[in-house]
Amino acid sequence: MRGIRIWCFLALASLVVPALAAARQASTPDAPGPQAKAEVKADAAAKPPAVAQEAKTAAKPAAKKGEEKRAELIVPAYSDIRQRSAVIVFYVWLWFSIAVLIYFLRQWVKEADRVYKAKYYEPEESPRKGNPMAAGVGE
Amino acid sequence: MKIDVKTFVAWFKDRLALTPILKYMTKKEVPQHEHSFWYYTGSSILLFLFIQIITGIMLAFYYRPTLEGANASIARIMTELPLGWLVRSIHSWSATFMIAIVMVHMLAIMFTKSYRKPREVTWMTGMMLLVVSMVFGFTGYLLPWDDLSLSATKVGTNIPMAIPVVGKWVTQFLRGGDDVTGDTLTRFFLFHVCILPLVIFAILIVHILLVQKEGMSVPLKDEIAKKKVPALPFWPNFVLREVIIWLVLLGTVLTVSLAFAPSLGPSADLMAPAPEGVKPEWYFLFLFQTLKIFPANMGPVTGEFVAVVLIMIGIMAVFFLPFLDNKPETKKGKLVTYLCILGVIYAIVFSIWSLQ
Repeated sequence: MRGIRIWCFLALASLVVPALAAARQASTPDAPGPQAKAEVKADAAAKPPAVAQEAKTAAKPAAKKGEEKRAELIVPAYSDIRQRSAVIVFYVWLWFSIAVLIYFLRQWVKEADRVYKAKYYEPEESPRKGNPMAAGVGE
Repeated sequence: MKIDVKTFVAWFKDRLALTPILKYMTKKEVPQHEHSFWYYTGSSILLFLFIQIITGIMLAFYYRPTLEGANASIARIMTELPLGWLVRSIHSWSATFMIAIVMVHMLAIMFTKSYRKPREVTWMTGMMLLVVSMVFGFTGYLLPWDDLSLSATKVGTNIPMAIPVVGKWVTQFLRGGDDVTGDTLTRFFLFHVCILPLVIFAILIVHILLVQKEGMSVPLKDEIAKKKVPALPFWPNFVLREVIIWLVLLGTVLTVSLAFAPSLGPSADLMAPAPEGVKPEWYFLFLFQTLKIFPANMGPVTGEFVAVVLIMIGIMAVFFLPFLDNKPETKKGKLVTYLCILGVIYAIVFSIWSLQ
């Protein structure tokens, strides 16, 4: 049980730490990973990264001043193939991590069910009844 | 004095009187039968509520609920703040998931007739939670302040007008005037981040306490046969299974939020005509279509009034369902089940129809 708990903790940590790293990486301008771009919706997929960047910067003054009316739709889109690939890698990593966590949780569930079925924590019916080492069971 | 972790935990348990609660949690059991899967929907709603709170707080740091600032601040969140677009997307998608799971939870209880005595009030508080969740969605829809959200809010806040006597007052109260303006935005923001969270937590506490008091229901046929249903300890057996489902849901919401992040239209123009194809959120579509199919006038009253009255009757019938279906094992109970199936078919068909 203790081993399973440790593995679960390590797997959870492996889920959180790279996610934080990815978040920090994605916030930098040239990092791989999806970033919000201001683009005209119809051209979202077709535009080269440079145009997407231009559209993004064009939207910034309107966002800052809050007075000028922005005409275009803001659609979060990948600016290049690097970002698209990074997202696919993220998906694979995310679901792989979840699968690993589920595997360990299932082991834990099986163990918990086995202990329950064996009535391990019920003093009257515990297989440890009469064992002086099992003092305190069920309390 | 010796101070270690054990002493500290014991002190903490003593001062907060946690021991009886922890004892209860270890003694609590969950029935195991063919419909046990539906028990997991309850905790999944809490998971999405938690995500909503966290992402909502993150968005509220930068959101400005003013006519000039609302759309621009969302544009800033999406284009300038690190992963702001993702936080907004997760907030939006987890709201959708939450309402969907609330509906699934409600339907599961409806069809297993778990609302029967002594769980009538639990059902009623659950219905209140569904309504509050939908109002959360409605108030949140206006906050981006683009043309679509403005028009949808105009349509939505116009509906109470059809209610006699108080209709006009209700509409004015919601809008903060005769029309949707910056005051409506401020008002909706206040509802969304202050009033509704207080309401939802108050109802949620009552709902959870009632669930703990009455325990989880067993299938009707087992109750009639007075059969002893096998049970599983809540901790750790049931909770661990719940965690597995949470992980899958978490992965799903993250995948969907990344793949289908919501866009943001240009800032709404109060003087501009409504854009074509204005539609509310998916969970209001069937009500929207119901209002649409009624003619403008039906004798002395308007068609909208008839539609609103019928919708109100429908909502009241669902709210008081445990009292209408007080003998679920009889033919009357079966009739109620068929009516519920008809209601679900109506909601699905009308929702699809409204998209045409």
